[in-house]
Amino acid sequence: MSEIYSPSSEHEVADFIKNCNSREILIEIIGHNSKSIGRLIQCSKSLNLKNLSGIIEYFPEELYIKVKAGTPLALIETELDKKNQELSFEPSDMGFLYNGRSNKGSVGGAVACNLSGSRRFRAGALRDHILGFRGINGKGEIVKSGGTVVKNVTGYDVSKLITGSYGTLVALTEIVLKVQPKNEESQTLLVNNINLKKALNIFSKSMQTSVEISGACFYPAKMSKFFKLNDLDTTTSIAAIRLEGPKISVVERVNTLKKLFDEYKKTISVLENYQSRIFWQNTTDLQFFNNSANVVVKVILPPVNTDQFINKFENEELKYVVDWAGNLIWAEIPENDSVLLRQLRTEVIKLGGHMTIIKAPNHVRIKEDFLTTVDENIKVLSLKIKESFDPKKILNPGKMYSGI
Amino acid sequence: MSTLTMPPVDQFVLNDKEKIVRHLKRFTNPINIISDPEGITPYETDALSAYKQKPMAVVLPESTEEVSNILKYCHENNIKVVPRGSGTGLSGGALPLADCVLLGLSKFNKILEIDFENRCVVTQPGVTNLSLTKAVEHNGFYYAPDPSSQIACSIGGNIAENSGGVHSLKYGTTTNNILGVEIVLMNGTIMRFGGKKLESEGYDLLGLITGSEGLLGVLTEVTVKILKKPQSVKALLLGFQSVEDSGQCVSDIISEGIIPAGMEIMDKPLIKATDNYAKAGYPKDVEAILIVELDGTESEVNILIKRVEEIAKKNKSSYLCISKNDEERLRFWLGRKAAFPAIGDMSPDYLCMDGTIPRKKLAEVLREITKLSQKHGLRVANCFHAGDGNLHPLIMFDSNIKSELKKAEKFGADILKYCVKVGGVLTGEHGVGIEKRDLMCEMFNDEDIQQQLNIKQAFDEKSLLNPGKVYPILHRCAEGGKMHAHKGDTKFKDIPRF
Repeated sequence: MSEIYSPSSEHEVADFIKNCNSREILIEIIGHNSKSIGRLIQCSKSLNLKNLSGIIEYFPEELYIKVKAGTPLALIETELDKKNQELSFEPSDMGFLYNGRSNKGSVGGAVACNLSGSRRFRAGALRDHILGFRGINGKGEIVKSGGTVVKNVTGYDVSKLITGSYGTLVALTEIVLKVQPKNEESQTLLVNNINLKKALNIFSKSMQTSVEISGACFYPAKMSKFFKLNDLDTTTSIAAIRLEGPKISVVERVNTLKKLFDEYKKTISVLENYQSRIFWQNTTDLQFFNNSANVVVKVILPPVNTDQFINKFENEELKYVVDWAGNLIWAEIPENDSVLLRQLRTEVIKLGGHMTIIKAPNHVRIKEDFLTTVDENIKVLSLKIKESFDPKKILNPGKMYSGI
Repeated sequence: MSTLTMPPVDQFVLNDKEKIVRHLKRFTNPINIISDPEGITPYETDALSAYKQKPMAVVLPESTEEVSNILKYCHENNIKVVPRGSGTGLSGGALPLADCVLLGLSKFNKILEIDFENRCVVTQPGVTNLSLTKAVEHNGFYYAPDPSSQIACSIGGNIAENSGGVHSLKYGTTTNNILGVEIVLMNGTIMRFGGKKLESEGYDLLGLITGSEGLLGVLTEVTVKILKKPQSVKALLLGFQSVEDSGQCVSDIISEGIIPAGMEIMDKPLIKATDNYAKAGYPKDVEAILIVELDGTESEVNILIKRVEEIAKKNKSSYLCISKNDEERLRFWLGRKAAFPAIGDMSPDYLCMDGTIPRKKLAEVLREITKLSQKHGLRVANCFHAGDGNLHPLIMFDSNIKSELKKAEKFGADILKYCVKVGGVLTGEHGVGIEKRDLMCEMFNDEDIQQQLNIKQAFDEKSLLNPGKVYPILHRCAEGGKMHAHKGDTKFKDIPRF
């Protein structure tokens, strides 16, 4: 068990890291400890950022919020909700996957993992919504980049580099995020009893119209049993398409799509506002893999290859849900089936995608690659970037790749 | 030309010019190498034309492999390289160095693949921004970022500067609209960041190189996201008796939860200039005009137009016109799009600044600009991407009058310093280049800049790719650019300096 340090100011974080750097002490950075993503690492010290918490400034009309890195994501969402605003990348609540109950964790943790919800293909990922940050690099120096404005090309966009770096470059202390107005209405067009190929086809067709869909996911039969929604038929497979915006526009666009997909008219239905919101919240939160004891992976593919990928593993013990209009597959495989895990990885690479292990028992996290990067040049460059922030490699060492 | 410290010229390289040119001919068709004084003249400047410098040689490679071999050769022989797209950059990012090889990407001018099913286009970097939209519009698609120079600027250059345009509040800038690149590092390594998929794993290298102003690598292929055109687009042309009211109107629109596709403010001097030039028919008796463009479905746009109309009235708008058709909507934009040439028509020279500020500070910053205009004795006109806070003051001067450029630059620097003071940044979309390089210390301290230089080292250990741009050289921030060197001797001469 490593020794935990929970500073309450940026300077304390800086002093702690500076001290560890001079003594080459390895540090694991923790937010709210809500998710154990990344390779299993062993450090003699843990840096817990939960006491660096609070909203620094929030100007709704300027569309940004500046917060300390340990601020609970749930608190930020509550504050934004008061002004009818939100984080439009839809942060996932990984608490359901990890422990079977809600725990959104800290904003710093969300930024470190760059996890985005079902609206990602429309609104962008978390990395598209970070405007600036302050953090401490591996030498104990305070570094900052970006600002509070959307348009900014003053120096390298280090904020993007930090996002999704799993705490290997800096310990975040402050984060500025873009915020957006909430949509007045959400409705979901459902097509039941449809196969994946046809579902992907209706996603693609929808996106080639001007109806501006903001969610498109596919649940195979049996995967949707967990939903508790009156108007959702969970006895067969489901293709779901979300429309958001002013109510009048949403109704109009739902009708446009209904006409476009007239061939499915016997199996088409609509989830109204309240149920539609729950449907997408549950999907974004991965509630279909609630408290999974198996290996859960996130597969990203060019959408035209998604069907081919799933077909290949049709007869295997693979549970999956497709989101982001076919760009994303959440998959679960038995925790002891390393052969299948490696087959998935090989196929993903062949089809031009990548795969990230999102949850796995420790014995898998020790043995298996967390990411799929195969290009050695990328690894060499990543190592150099790591060393440019953290020359002694003391921050979350090995969290992404062995040695980085 | 104003004086500007650039990296010292490598005399050994210059002495070897003939040999280097001979060697470069091994890597590409010899006609792609230009080294005669007349031939290299068109490359001596970009759109920041106050600064000129002829390169040692110009190379116009035709394939990724050629780019890789050229860069590798230059890396091994310590030769500086300055990459160049269409040369429309406004901050001097493509300004050559006397001892550099200027690497022009103009022959990378083909669209390689249009993939409607994956909603992307794979293209070479020399293709112009507008050509991308032209290539997909027959199917109702478009490429969202639309910088004013879109008819001429290249997509590779857009990535280097993270270009925006008038619609970035709703649709983001270049960084939000690209999926992947093929890039060649200074040592010749060819790499791919991203691709047709929605995101990549590992460090966000694609995000990092976007807006890196050609300092980290040379792009040889780009994959961009394309969007379906909205069903309906309408615009309001609003006039106000004070800039404050127009600024408040913008804040109120956003506070009401409306995100327009574009919002632009022009001040009185610019209204007058553009109306004379483009005959856009703007109201003449107002202090500011605000163009608000809304898109979506027909009914959605109609509702939003009504709501914006109400907000405008509440903010004492004295003129209000709603576009009845596309022709009228484009007429609203006509003056705004002609802003730069209109000022060019009024003044022999002008400098275009590019700070971004919090929207609510607009009136305050414009008041300060008026004061500075009087202080420096130069005229100024202002346009403002009000949606995203990006301000473009156009400072008018005459380069034939000795010292006016210097005065204009000082005026510009004062504006940008004020932008930073009110919580903004030095540049929204034109880049730092050489123009704002020495102002970086207004925003960043030594440690911030050193961290960014360390990132540069990870990509280009000898600092040969586009050196002298973006980051101040030869001094530390605390010294405020006034390092005193006596007989070549400096204090603490062994510490690293930038």
